[in-house]
Amino acid sequence: MLVKLSMSGLKSKLKDYLVLLVGLVISVSIFYMFQTLALNKAFIESNSVISSIQFVFHAGSVLLAIITFFYILYANSFLMTLRQKEFGMYMMLGAKKHKIMMLMFLETMILGIVSLVIGNAIGIGLAQGVGQLLMKQLEFTAGGYKAFYMPSLQITCLFFLVLFIISAIMNTLKLSRISVLQLVHAESHTDRPAVKGIMTVVTAVLSIILLAIGYWAMFNMETLMQAGIIIALITTTSGTYLLFMTFLPLMIGRLKKNKKRNEKGLNSFTYAQLSFRVNSLTKVLATVAMLIALGAGAITAGMGFQNNVMVTVNGFTPYDMVIHQPTEQEQAVIDTITFISKQQYRYKVDKKYVYYVKTDLEQHPPFAPYGVGRDSFGQYKPITEAISTGVVESDNWNDALRLIQPHYLYREQQVQIVDEQKYNQLQAEESSVIVGVSDDFLAHKEKWAQLDKMQAAKYNLSEMVLNSKYASYHMMHGFSSGTVFMGFFLGIAFLAMMASSLMFKILSGATKDISRYQMLHKIGVRRERLVRSIYKEQFLVFLFPAIIGVAHVVLGMKMFSFILRNPYDRIWVPLTIFAVIYAAYYFITVQMYKRIVLPSK
Amino acid sequence: MQAPVVNIQDVKKVYGKSGANQSYALKGVSFSIQQGEFVGIMGPSGSGKTTLLNVISTLDKASDGVIKIAGVDISKMKSGQLADFRSQKLGFIFQDFNLIENLTVYENIALPLSLQGVPSRKIGPSVQKVAATLGIAELLQKYPAELSGGQKQRTAAARALVHEPAIILGDEPTGALDSKNATSLLEAMTNLNEQHGVSIMMVTHDAFSASYCQRILFIQDGELYKEIRRTSTREVFYREILDVLADLGTQK
Ligand SMILES: Nc1ncnc2c1ncn2[C@@H]1O[C@H](COP(=O)(O)OP(=O)(O)O)[C@@H](O)[C@H]1O
Ligand SMILES: [Mg+2]
Repeated sequence: MLVKLSMSGLKSKLKDYLVLLVGLVISVSIFYMFQTLALNKAFIESNSVISSIQFVFHAGSVLLAIITFFYILYANSFLMTLRQKEFGMYMMLGAKKHKIMMLMFLETMILGIVSLVIGNAIGIGLAQGVGQLLMKQLEFTAGGYKAFYMPSLQITCLFFLVLFIISAIMNTLKLSRISVLQLVHAESHTDRPAVKGIMTVVTAVLSIILLAIGYWAMFNMETLMQAGIIIALITTTSGTYLLFMTFLPLMIGRLKKNKKRNEKGLNSFTYAQLSFRVNSLTKVLATVAMLIALGAGAITAGMGFQNNVMVTVNGFTPYDMVIHQPTEQEQAVIDTITFISKQQYRYKVDKKYVYYVKTDLEQHPPFAPYGVGRDSFGQYKPITEAISTGVVESDNWNDALRLIQPHYLYREQQVQIVDEQKYNQLQAEESSVIVGVSDDFLAHKEKWAQLDKMQAAKYNLSEMVLNSKYASYHMMHGFSSGTVFMGFFLGIAFLAMMASSLMFKILSGATKDISRYQMLHKIGVRRERLVRSIYKEQFLVFLFPAIIGVAHVVLGMKMFSFILRNPYDRIWVPLTIFAVIYAAYYFITVQMYKRIVLPSK
Repeated sequence: MQAPVVNIQDVKKVYGKSGANQSYALKGVSFSIQQGEFVGIMGPSGSGKTTLLNVISTLDKASDGVIKIAGVDISKMKSGQLADFRSQKLGFIFQDFNLIENLTVYENIALPLSLQGVPSRKIGPSVQKVAATLGIAELLQKYPAELSGGQKQRTAAARALVHEPAIILGDEPTGALDSKNATSLLEAMTNLNEQHGVSIMMVTHDAFSASYCQRILFIQDGELYKEIRRTSTREVFYREILDVLADLGTQK
């Protein structure tokens, strides 16, 4: 009987349930999609040169799990608000409390399982679509990437089942603690901030301390390494939540305190709207701030890595090509490339020494690094220092020669400079090295690859250790495209989560507001004025998380300064993208909200 | 003589678009209310009381007829103008209080003044004054959820009054109150009317509440059926009302 009743109640709020279901499905599918990457060891190992990338994925999963956790709790408290009045009514009519609790538990679980099934199905589709699209965009063939990935399916199901059980228990407990009267009058409750007075101040200070620690960790990522990521993760997340729980109510309180401002036009109502649901709002807004930080941060980081590739590659070596004793095949390839400069240096090798010719080096001075400290990275100039014959003592010349003669060649020998005469007399095997700078490195990508392959075969080495510019390009590109791939993956995931978080915030609050706007309409507030009040209220709602989120991104990018030459390079691009998306959300949200709360014309 | 506060001529209201499901909720009602009157509107459920109040209060448009409030013809106004008109000339008390529950009593009462752009320094004294008149001066810092029904309704009355409207309109203001609270609200309204000259029009189906009025208009099936005036005590008037209601009942 009760089940039947509750089914009819469910039907009457079908729209709200649909919204809830869609929200849950989105979070399940995003989580699944992300896990197809994070858990796919084969994929990550074959596509990232640097092992820490896997750790970044794990850190991402933990974060997503934290965010999802709060998201699900929020979604379920929304479910609770949808039902509490009705359940109160049943109890008033004599339904037993434990039956109602059972009903609540079942409903939460059923909703959870349904969204899990649909969410996973959509997640598989999403993973397929997004994966293929990104790979195409990044010219990145990801071997072993599977959109349908069993471990990911398992972890998603396990994770969400645990979450749903937790929230079902929480909903049931909440229900068991409130009285029938509270349930029936659920909507007319005045929510007050939970922490007050001295506690607020203490928590506010604590939140600042946590954020400071988080930022400190991000600034010192170089020394802290993985511990830094964990510290930053925990402190910034908890700091953000606490900040929103304490500072936002304090701020709105301040707004309202100014009597003159509060009594101007609709302000008292606008500010009251802001502070009324302040408790639930703070957590949602903190979540949104974190999602902004993560979404925009992930895209910023991804783009930063992409921007960084050529800068880094050019830093490793000034030469596009260094080839010792080219074979005919190699020479054929070399001949097809246009060089801006190409030099040949002769040398002879015996058991103890590699002999270079002094005049060769003087006529065509090779590149050597210049500058000091970090700034010297990637700066090369033809060497100006004079060279004398004999074993090379000068650091500059050693550096210059190291660029010409890769470490895997002549490991046993020392380098000696000899004059032309002595060189000719030497009884040793003659050889030569060709170094060159092409007109456009990226335009000849395939040719460098061919050359590297031949070289690798010649010396029986893996292409990895060739140390050629192409090898480092290949490595950096592999590293960066994996990172960019991940950055966009993460960015998409977190921004999509943000969208549905906001949707929930709006829809779960809006129905309560209808009567207020109706009332204001009755006492003669012009529609335009109500609209303005909504724009203003929502603007403030949107503003705070945006500020914090962007601050996280901007300060957090510092964390990459030990891998990226300039993490702030073109940072305005992702920030602008974010601002545009966010502004669009703001306007859509206001429109949706208006449609719900304002009396029809 | 001054122009009447409310003057309606041959007001009709049709619900439904056209054809078969069209129905007349008001079938040509005419009456006027003078400045300082306390008028009650009575009638059986479904007789058109709320419809009448809604067209007078500009919340709904009459299908036909002329409605003048404080000498202004409202039938041709646009919705924005109507909103302004409501906020300046009318005060409302609804059955379900309609207070904004996230504003304090003070803020609720102050709202109509804020909306009209009254400077903050003038708002305080005005709110204090009406609050004192309605006996809620001690409650100003509370939220509606912390008040009893009677206190809520007196807050609503204070809000309806604070901007000195031409008339206060009430739709079953005592409908959600127990008899003690209802009595105190009605006494407060009588006091407003008698001591402060506030014009009031109140819809009610309750004879006891109606007996506080000076004049009562009975409507039935969308038409004015009868009008009675209070000539002696409230108790006598109360009995007269009951008689009319009995008539209305037997007629049907
Ligand atoms: N929005 C509406 N649409 C259609 N018919 C309505 C509407 N509002 C009221 N009515 C009809 O108009 C008549 C008068 O209703 P109402 O003014 O609410 O009566 P009262 O307030 O006296 O009980 C009733 O027959 C009612 O069914
Ligand atoms: Mg009615």
